[in-house]
Amino acid sequence: MSKCPYHDPFKEAREKGPVLETEFDGDPVAMLVDFKAVRKACRDPKTFSSDAPFRIPIPREEDVRTVRQYPFEVDPPEHADYRAIVEPLFRRPTTPEYIEKMEDLVDELVRDAAGRDSIEIVREFAIPLQSKGLTLLLNMPMSEADIWIKWGTHVFRDESGVSKGHEMEAYTNSLFDKAEANPGEDFFSHLTKAEYRGRKLTREEMQGYANIAFAGGRDTVINAISMVVAYVAEHPEALDAMRENPKLIISGTEELMRYASPVTHLGRHCPVDTDVHGTKVKADHLISLNWAAANFDPKIFKDPEEVKLDRKPNPHVAFGNGIHNCLGAAHARLTIRTLLKKLCELTSSIELVDFHRKKEVEAHYTRENAFHTLNVKMAPATP
Amino acid sequence: MAKVTFITEDGNSHLIEDAEGSLMDIAVDNGIEGIEGDCGGVGSCATCHVRVKQEWMEKVGKAEELEQDILEFEDGTCSRSRLCCQIDVDEDLDGLVVEVAKLG
Ligand code: HEM
Ligand code: FES
Repeated sequence: MSKCPYHDPFKEAREKGPVLETEFDGDPVAMLVDFKAVRKACRDPKTFSSDAPFRIPIPREEDVRTVRQYPFEVDPPEHADYRAIVEPLFRRPTTPEYIEKMEDLVDELVRDAAGRDSIEIVREFAIPLQSKGLTLLLNMPMSEADIWIKWGTHVFRDESGVSKGHEMEAYTNSLFDKAEANPGEDFFSHLTKAEYRGRKLTREEMQGYANIAFAGGRDTVINAISMVVAYVAEHPEALDAMRENPKLIISGTEELMRYASPVTHLGRHCPVDTDVHGTKVKADHLISLNWAAANFDPKIFKDPEEVKLDRKPNPHVAFGNGIHNCLGAAHARLTIRTLLKKLCELTSSIELVDFHRKKEVEAHYTRENAFHTLNVKMAPATP
Repeated sequence: MAKVTFITEDGNSHLIEDAEGSLMDIAVDNGIEGIEGDCGGVGSCATCHVRVKQEWMEKVGKAEELEQDILEFEDGTCSRSRLCCQIDVDEDLDGLVVEVAKLG
């Protein structure tokens, strides 16, 4: 593995200016690759709108879902009311009970991994951890994860790129049916009971919340877990440093999120002709907020291609920025922190056996931020 | 140990008698409304934005350049704005008063 596999593919573009003029789905897209430009655009939802269902993720997602995602594809002022409905659920990962459940879950998975001769991290570790972890967030029985584990890394497309989004929509729809008939304390029941501006949510809206909970929290978390395991396998000194100083687990989690930037970029829609740092964007066209490029901007991050576990301040935008910042961030942070903690506690060495990287190949860049497979050998800690 | 006071959005004052360490941790440990501290104090999340009372500005000090860059696009930022995870409380800051900014 090269020294920095997440090497910055936007370096040259950023040196030329804040905008990389690129294209997706046959249309021009003005991609912001400069930290300040990205953050500034996040704060201007009038000019750079999220009210464009299926088009905030780039490439567009009409072929894989039929519902607008909430509160992701909504602008102010409605956004705040939609977000408030689920915000309390997404804050639960900061409570002691939740933290304990996550510790138990990761403890079991790491012990199991360390007890084997070798383990394929993506399928046998990251997908189970992501799926079982999500039962905590959605407040479902852990056995439900058995269904999700079979879905693979992406819930929307199989390995050959064919859409399977309708299966997931049918599944979440059945969960709302169940919740309506027999409400409990889970995420789906919460939505069936919720009120938006004095009325119940429509089924389509409920489906939109469920859709992003499964899709937005899937490959992002799986890739983050795999990347963290690969990193510590390659850098045993990192785990030693965290064993010595557990505070590094917190700052290290942020730094590894910056470094991995699991979501490369997301779109915004320009309702009218807009001048974007000198690039003319036509009405109804897109700009892109490139989180990964912003996170390697040397004007903000000294030696951006180096992992510094104690980097502080570390104003990375891996979880976005502004009103749409990631609702799942508290859960994702807890997952990664707990993973690092348990790897420190329960393993004595992690050895990389082999791996097959996934490439994100686009018109103007290629990025490697995930794995098809990642085989490692973990040795249990000596008692 | 020091006494510090948080003035929350609703105008209420919250006095913490035995404060020490990161001002963000102190706020979170005492359940101060408006301080979340999501990133654990490394300056990524800006959910710990406070405005330091003018009379304390000299002792606490202004935000460094990078911290200013983070605060620049937050709501309610002014020249007294700080990320409170970047403020360490010790005896020197006994009596400190900060206003909690609205969460973006
Ligand atoms: C490492 C893991 C994750 C990363 C890197 C990540 C990244 C992001 C980013 C960059 C945004 C900003 C969207 C925008 O500005 O348009 C976002 C929003 C969002 N994320 Fe995540 N995410 C992660 C995990 C999760 C999880 C686990 C969930 C839920 C199960 C989730 C649910 C959401 C939702 C609902 C939003 C929309 C918030 C809004 O529009 O107000 N994410 N995420
Ligand atoms: S706690 Fe995240 S920026 Fe201060």
